Amino acid sequence: MRGGLALSLTAVVLAAASGARAEEPPDAGPSKSSVAARAQRQTPDAGATLAADEFELSTTVSGARQHVPEQRASSTVRRTELQHRQPRSAPDALRYEPGVFVQQTAHAQASAFVRGLTGQQTVLVFDGLRLNTSTYRQGPNQYFFTLDAATIASVEVLRGGGSTWFGSDALGGVVATQPVEPPDASEGPLLRPTFTFRGASADGELGGRFQLEAALGRSSFLGGVGARRVGLLQSSGPVTSPADGSVPDVPRFDDDGRTQLGTGFNELTGDARFRVRVADGHSLTAALYAYRQFDAPRTDQCPPPGARSDECLTYTEQFRTLAYAAWDGAFESGVQARAAVSWQRQHERRENARPASFVLGTGRDVVDTFGATLRVQPRTFTPRPWLGLTVRTGVDTWVDLVDSRAWLTFDDIGVTQERSRGQYLAGSSSVTGGAWVDLEAAFSERWTARSGARVAWAAVQAPADPESGSAAVAQRWFPLAGHVGLEWRALRPVSLVVNLDRSFRAPNLDDLSSRQQTGAGFQFENPRLEPETATTLEAGARVRTAAVTADAWLFQTWLAGAVGKQPREVADCPPQTPACNASWNRFQLVNAPGVADVRGVEAALKLRLPWRLGVRATASWTWGEGPNLVARPADPSAPWTERVPLSRIPPFNGTAELTWQHPAGLGAAAALRWATLQDRLAVADFSDARIPAGGTPGYAVVDMRVWAHLSRHILAVLVLENLFDTPWRAHGSSVNGPGRGVIVSLSVSP
Amino acid sequence: MRHLPAALLLFFCACPGPAPAPTDGGVDGGGSDGGAACQPRPSFPEDAGACLPLADDYQPRFNGSSGDGWPACVSDSNTYTPINPSISTVARVAAYEGIAELLWRDGGVPSPQAFVDARVLYAQDQGLDSRVQRREDVHYPAAPMPCSTAGIPEQHPERCVGPAKLLPLLNDAFARGAMGEAPRVHAARIEGALHWFLYVSSLSEVMSCTNRAQDCDSCWAYYTGGTPRDSPLGLAREVAALGPEAHQRAYDGTLAVRCWRNLDNETGVAMNTTLRDRAFAQLDRALLRGLALALRQRVTELPCSTGDVLDARWAYVQVLAPLLDRAARERNGPQADVLKAELSKSSPLSVDVGAVTGALDALFPCP
Repeated sequence: MRGGLALSLTAVVLAAASGARAEEPPDAGPSKSSVAARAQRQTPDAGATLAADEFELSTTVSGARQHVPEQRASSTVRRTELQHRQPRSAPDALRYEPGVFVQQTAHAQASAFVRGLTGQQTVLVFDGLRLNTSTYRQGPNQYFFTLDAATIASVEVLRGGGSTWFGSDALGGVVATQPVEPPDASEGPLLRPTFTFRGASADGELGGRFQLEAALGRSSFLGGVGARRVGLLQSSGPVTSPADGSVPDVPRFDDDGRTQLGTGFNELTGDARFRVRVADGHSLTAALYAYRQFDAPRTDQCPPPGARSDECLTYTEQFRTLAYAAWDGAFESGVQARAAVSWQRQHERRENARPASFVLGTGRDVVDTFGATLRVQPRTFTPRPWLGLTVRTGVDTWVDLVDSRAWLTFDDIGVTQERSRGQYLAGSSSVTGGAWVDLEAAFSERWTARSGARVAWAAVQAPADPESGSAAVAQRWFPLAGHVGLEWRALRPVSLVVNLDRSFRAPNLDDLSSRQQTGAGFQFENPRLEPETATTLEAGARVRTAAVTADAWLFQTWLAGAVGKQPREVADCPPQTPACNASWNRFQLVNAPGVADVRGVEAALKLRLPWRLGVRATASWTWGEGPNLVARPADPSAPWTERVPLSRIPPFNGTAELTWQHPAGLGAAAALRWATLQDRLAVADFSDARIPAGGTPGYAVVDMRVWAHLSRHILAVLVLENLFDTPWRAHGSSVNGPGRGVIVSLSVSP
Repeated sequence: MRHLPAALLLFFCACPGPAPAPTDGGVDGGGSDGGAACQPRPSFPEDAGACLPLADDYQPRFNGSSGDGWPACVSDSNTYTPINPSISTVARVAAYEGIAELLWRDGGVPSPQAFVDARVLYAQDQGLDSRVQRREDVHYPAAPMPCSTAGIPEQHPERCVGPAKLLPLLNDAFARGAMGEAPRVHAARIEGALHWFLYVSSLSEVMSCTNRAQDCDSCWAYYTGGTPRDSPLGLAREVAALGPEAHQRAYDGTLAVRCWRNLDNETGVAMNTTLRDRAFAQLDRALLRGLALALRQRVTELPCSTGDVLDARWAYVQVLAPLLDRAARERNGPQADVLKAELSKSSPLSVDVGAVTGALDALFPCP
């Protein structure tokens, strides 16, 4: 659907409402958020979640704070689930969500595929603030890993396009994280320290966190510092090729055949969140989140395929700092608003070491992002007894400033030479943002119509670098996004939903100006890229009863101008780029000439059973296909098809969990994660060492967990992971999953 | 955490970590050292008239290969037809050319900065260094593990010639040259090591071409730089300058390799290893003759060179002679002993040039 159509629909509904009388809102619409869920989001720590119920409905809340829209296919991971599952990272926390598949290029890097798309084709959000920068690359990236799971109250996943609310990049979905909030100051003075210790056997992880919560008068505070040291990750052994049984070049194993080289990392985290209620209904929040990761090798390049075992590309520094101030206001008129200004610094430093030759390549990229957002939600009004209208609107903009440098050092003689350019062009900048409006019209108790639109802006500029043959970039676009949807509550617990969404992604600095060695080969810039757009049609059915929560969704996404890797010849390489000429494979990002299709089915079920038992299960199937970016060969007998599978589309996969919880705070769970063989490979996948020859075999991995909330002050968790020691690898990953091992966690609030 | 102290500072200030400071490592020093080259330079008029091609050699230069017993193939046009239009090896040979220009081709004394610049070319991503580190000499039995495996090069130095022999030599020569130490000598060591590398690389690609057809392109490119017969680069340029017929035969050899692959399931795995080995042998023989000429030239320059020029010629000989020893012993043990004995002498001036050239001509008489 074109964005203009969404705008028109919105205008039509607004016009219909203009002469309406204000009456009481109907008992329907998105404001029926779960009080329990709201309370859950504000539960700050382990000790306060005594016997928390994992089976509360996952709903979203309304208001001016940015959450994923309720009527769309979505799910939420809540703090209790994080505490009981003990994920290794923020992305790891998403492994049980429908429509989400977590790929890992390194032990310290993981990227969530949402409806078959990832990286720059999804949006990461923290407390309503966009985390995506203009250097998010095509394919998986590591940036969601830079959120400290200890600071997360919940992770909401919107599946499908979301550009109306979240702007550029929201083609496949949105991962919106809500932070743990300081304690409620209205309950009196409070000072509560919490110590958390955690260890894992498969990778020798040892770490902990000290957290302090305080409240006095109108002010409250939550802050903490954490650290962990993570060693080499031990798997259950190699995953073999389904085609010929060979062992892939990636990862490289130690002599024991289980320990994966190119894994392990160190991490420091820190956060401080201060909130003061300046008046009734109004609060100011100042927050700082710092993540510091050190010495994290990129597994598929440590060593690269065919290279010596001591050669390694390491992210010696992967830092992210986010600081922001926000005002939340709720006026007596019913208007709610939130305004925020933010600064984020994404900093990474890479070292590509070839010690046998005393060669060290160093790259450093820094992206400073300045953001400003305003969201307003007037009160719901009812122009007719049978009609309730809710409007939300907002404006946001984000400015990126990029510095990028690279050096080559010969260690044996102490010589360092700076390259003419880094991975990006120093002095590059980008702007992205937009203004949006969202309207919800509830017709009686059974029907709700929703629509919305965004007018967006995006601009990118990068200077030329004649020495490396890099052309200057100066592009701007004004894309439109929008959505319409209809919900029919056929029965009180059953609703049927159909949505049509158009989202977009404007090319970023990575697309337009970066040069880098990717898993598939050397990738160089294309300054002529145009935005890609996703039109998604989805239909869903939802059941909500006391015993059953079920969702089933069908979706079809048409990706127009999808950006993909097109194989290039040496003659196409930019001048003065020997790394391009010398690579086995070369790629350039291009807009596909036709439309790519991604379609799938997602289902999620929660059953509350007798004897405090519960069952959860998910299943997701995704299929993707697009125009073949390889030119038709001159030889008509050579194998070639006009359309080919999209890269790294996840296999059919799912989860199943059986849990038991006792009111006294004890609980246990058995969990299964499974995936089938994925042998539908894109052209670039065949040269990607992360993917075994012929595809990635399926797996079924079982974990067991037990936990005990011992009073309000102690939470102990034991996870037995990969109980049957099954070798497994998420499709597209460099790292095999952990082998059989134990994770223990203990949180104490004296 | 080896970065912990700095990390704590970074943690609180959120500022970028330290950038490597460009340094020259003292490479501005150095200077010319004395010595003179032969005037005039001895030349060896190649007489290949007595060297007829072997009966099973591929001969594309003669009537489009119609009289040599090879079936018709893509190489009969007497030009190389790439399997893949993009040949990454061309970039590596281009780097070799750049290094040659910086270090030895103009006959001058390379500066320390020239060594650094040359090493930048050598160390390019996916460049010469990356291949030296894994290069195997396929004349020797395969090691139980790839030569990129830790410990294997030390146990199998002949097979793992790249990491075991060439890499330490190149590292040392680049470093010492950059420090201003005997520039011509270290330039000659680099030259010799890269010639050795290009030779084993071209042949190594023949074998790997059995499974990956496009590696035949690399075989051709490691010798020629991806160029036509009459404008050779890389090793082909060096060979052509000393022995035009040796170069032509080597080029024939690369076309023979391409012909074999064209005849042997070009889009899949090759099966006709007999034909492959014929092509391999033809190419190997010509390349060895070319390298023998390179060695021969340096040896004949020993008596009339002085100072660092003499040392440079001798350094090249010291690097390349061990390469030829294996092939020499296969052909004629006593002659190989003569060669080894002469080239193992402690002083270049005590070398019996006639004995050496005689042995080389006897061992590698024809391309």
